[in-house]
Amino acid sequence: MNWRQPVFVLWLLALSLVPAAGEEAGVSVRNAWIRESPPGNSMMAAYMELRNNTSRPKVLVAASSSGFQRVMIHRTVLKDGMAGMDHLSQIELAANANLSFAPGGYHLMLMNPKRTLRAGDPVVINLEFRGGLVLPVDFEVRK
Amino acid sequence: MNRIPLQFSIMVTAVALAAVLAGAWLSDIDREYDSRATLLPDQVMTLLPEPKPLTDFALTDDGKRVFDLQSLKGKWSFLFFGFTHCPDVCPTTLAVLAGARDSIARNTVDAEDIQFVFVSVDPNRDTASKLRQYVDYFDASFVGVTGDDAQIASLAAQLGATYRVAITPGVENYPVHHSTAVFLVDPRARYHAVFTPPHDAAAISRRFKVVRKLAAGRAT
Repeated sequence: MNWRQPVFVLWLLALSLVPAAGEEAGVSVRNAWIRESPPGNSMMAAYMELRNNTSRPKVLVAASSSGFQRVMIHRTVLKDGMAGMDHLSQIELAANANLSFAPGGYHLMLMNPKRTLRAGDPVVINLEFRGGLVLPVDFEVRK
Repeated sequence: MNRIPLQFSIMVTAVALAAVLAGAWLSDIDREYDSRATLLPDQVMTLLPEPKPLTDFALTDDGKRVFDLQSLKGKWSFLFFGFTHCPDVCPTTLAVLAGARDSIARNTVDAEDIQFVFVSVDPNRDTASKLRQYVDYFDASFVGVTGDDAQIASLAAQLGATYRVAITPGVENYPVHHSTAVFLVDPRARYHAVFTPPHDAAAISRRFKVVRKLAAGRAT
């Protein structure tokens, strides 16, 4: 009919060929980063945007990384005007919903980095979901 | 055929008009930030109705020098209570404060009358050298201070800062709870205002400049 139609079809075709980056079994991760820490510091925090693209809840039960002695799921909570940390054994990601790990809220606490991490360094953290799904995620160290 | 250019010119005019209005509105907001109205208690800062004089306390800074009431005189001090093993709130707040300092101190003259003090409530783990290394990372001008429990408690109580350190024998990463506010002490060592989270460098700097200007006006 006009030139638009074939272009649109081509565009759809191209889209279908783009691999779904950072996405597996319906969970996608965006903006994954680790705050660079002062030299000699043993505690760091990782942040990210999680999205559950499925119609069933997904439960994050653990996280691990070869770059740290230990990774824990934490949440900064305010109680009596004080900030403290709650250690969570799991977090449920509701169906078709986002969950934000951000400063002052949910974060992955990274204990005892095995080497000094500087802004720009890549770090892989494995997110483990109930049911056995393990999602390796590339985090970027940022200042 | 004439219609399309006409519609187009109306659209361009509307967009231009909207831009002008938005500009006027934004500059209005900017003017407002410079007025006393912004100093009412809000999400960013609460100004004490009457500045509250602080009394003696004795802490030690990251160069192992005495840090006491005298150290707060002659400068505006921003104080934040935390600990270096803190992965989330402390680095987030100190990074914001470094940004606020940059924004307040565009030149050396602006920086002469301000200081940023990180008070560690965890002297058990935070030694002077550890504190120096820690605050230095955020801004070389920041001062880290700590001391014995009674002295930290004395300063904290005067500012309404709260904290709880749950030292557990044999546990390396014992929990520490601490207030997230940033306290502003004026050059006469009086508790003057408090910034409440979520902290933002631009908002802190903007309000501080107004507070400083008003205080200078009152003093003369």
